[in-house]
Amino acid sequence: MSDGAPLLAARDLEVAFGRGPDGFRLRVDELELRAGQALAVLGPNGAGKSTLLRTLAGLLPPGPRGAVRSPGRDVALVFQRPVLLAGNVAYNAELPLWARGVPRAERRRRARVALEEFGIGALARRSAQTLSGGEGRRLALARAFVTEPDVLLLDEPFDDLDDPGREALSLDLRRAIDERGIAVAMVTHDLRQALLLADRIAVLRAGRLVQVGARDEVLRSPADPGVARLVGMTNLLAAEVTQADGGRLRLRLANGRVLSAAGRAAPGAPVWVGVRPENVRLEPARGDLASSDERAEVVRLVSDGVVATAWLAWDGVELRTHLVAGRGLGQALKPGAPVAISIRAEDVHVMPRGQNASEK
Amino acid sequence: MSPLVWVGVAEVALRTLAVSASALLLALALGLPLGFLLGRHRFPGRGLLAAVANAGMGLPPVVVGLVVYLVLRRGGPLGSLELLLTPPGMVIAQVLIALPLVVGITLAAVGALPPDWHLQARALGLRGPRALWVLAREIRLGLLAAVIVALGGIISEVGAVQMVGGNLEGQTRMLTTGILMYTQMGRFEDALALAAVLMGMTFVLAGTLTAIQQARRA
Repeated sequence: MSDGAPLLAARDLEVAFGRGPDGFRLRVDELELRAGQALAVLGPNGAGKSTLLRTLAGLLPPGPRGAVRSPGRDVALVFQRPVLLAGNVAYNAELPLWARGVPRAERRRRARVALEEFGIGALARRSAQTLSGGEGRRLALARAFVTEPDVLLLDEPFDDLDDPGREALSLDLRRAIDERGIAVAMVTHDLRQALLLADRIAVLRAGRLVQVGARDEVLRSPADPGVARLVGMTNLLAAEVTQADGGRLRLRLANGRVLSAAGRAAPGAPVWVGVRPENVRLEPARGDLASSDERAEVVRLVSDGVVATAWLAWDGVELRTHLVAGRGLGQALKPGAPVAISIRAEDVHVMPRGQNASEK
Repeated sequence: MSPLVWVGVAEVALRTLAVSASALLLALALGLPLGFLLGRHRFPGRGLLAAVANAGMGLPPVVVGLVVYLVLRRGGPLGSLELLLTPPGMVIAQVLIALPLVVGITLAAVGALPPDWHLQARALGLRGPRALWVLAREIRLGLLAAVIVALGGIISEVGAVQMVGGNLEGQTRMLTTGILMYTQMGRFEDALALAAVLMGMTFVLAGTLTAIQQARRA
């Protein structure tokens, strides 16, 4: 299997539930899941993420002109709330093999391997109904892995798992992706895990794919403020283009401050400026600042023990930045402290700003 | 009681078993697929059918007897089949009593599964007979409840079999109709003998089914 070859290709999907204003419609022109790659599907609640996975799994009709092709491939889907069948853990794990007519001895062997892999080998004889949330999740994942699927679709796979469990799952998935060249698509609200694992990101909103691309590209250049917020680009500022010159832009923010950026836009055009919090650089304010442009004040400081998030007031504009907690500035800064900020032009992402309410 | 009387009791008991078992099997053969269909799929008329099944669970047997009598009597729509006053006629009446019970309970058991249960079963690769098998396993408590309730409903039923069968000695006498008759004749010893057999049968059957139902609950 050559790397990057599409294992599953969908086009012209159109899945509708209900009618009128209460109805929901998923429309996807094109989406491919490629060998050796993981796709993270991000999107707000009700965007159609689960519906998309179910359609890709062939469980929902793809619509009048739609098609999902995965010739000769085994496609497995783990639901957000997996059904565990009445019976013991081993019975549940063997079920997909039994459904495919695999002989009993082979079923047992492969189920045992899958259960061991997810750390619940010792629970094989336990009734599946007595498992904890995390154990049940592991069983559902083992049950999906047991057929060694070529395409693995995961709906919120990290739910109910503790931190070591999440990490183990990430590693298992990465290994299956790298060693066996499987294709993975997962829906998750856990941005950290999604980014750890994903090679590509697809953003779904109101049933439409808003952006699909390589992970870093989407992280750096989200299509609009909604996508920006989903991928953690939390500094979103309204601005206006004052100068445009050969791919260089001068932008004036609402507070009158000026930023440079790379990009193309017409002078006078309203834009959104997005800056990832880790790209707002801080220094302790010195008295000899050439201009007051960089002067800001720490408003609030919150630390989770690893990362400290500082909210800054920058002349009427609020900015967020990330620091290493308990070290350097992350330790020294206190609310009310004056700081100097700098934002490099290459870290400023410019998005069109229209009248569209869904943008922000 | 003389051995001769016990032979008579055994004959009535066997007929009761045969008629009720036939009716039960027929009711299950018709009712399980119908209940599954109503519990699983959405189609026009489904609500009406489900309501009919649920209402039918409380159907008075004597009304069933009356209707079957009217249909099977000479000159009735199916009079030419000459099923009135025969065991097959009684089977028809009992099927009509048991069918709504089987449909209603199966429908409720299937409907109690999570909404995406069938989708998940398909996602696991389950199709056709294997999917049905896993489903049956999943709702087996409900299915056994349907069997127990349907059996209880028909084996102890008296009104319909009396009207349709006529309690003819050696032909259509059942344990229940026999009890009724002996009581009216004042032959309480005979009535009690039949009653004891009926109770024994019911206990053994219900007990066996309950044992199966509860087998793996611990």
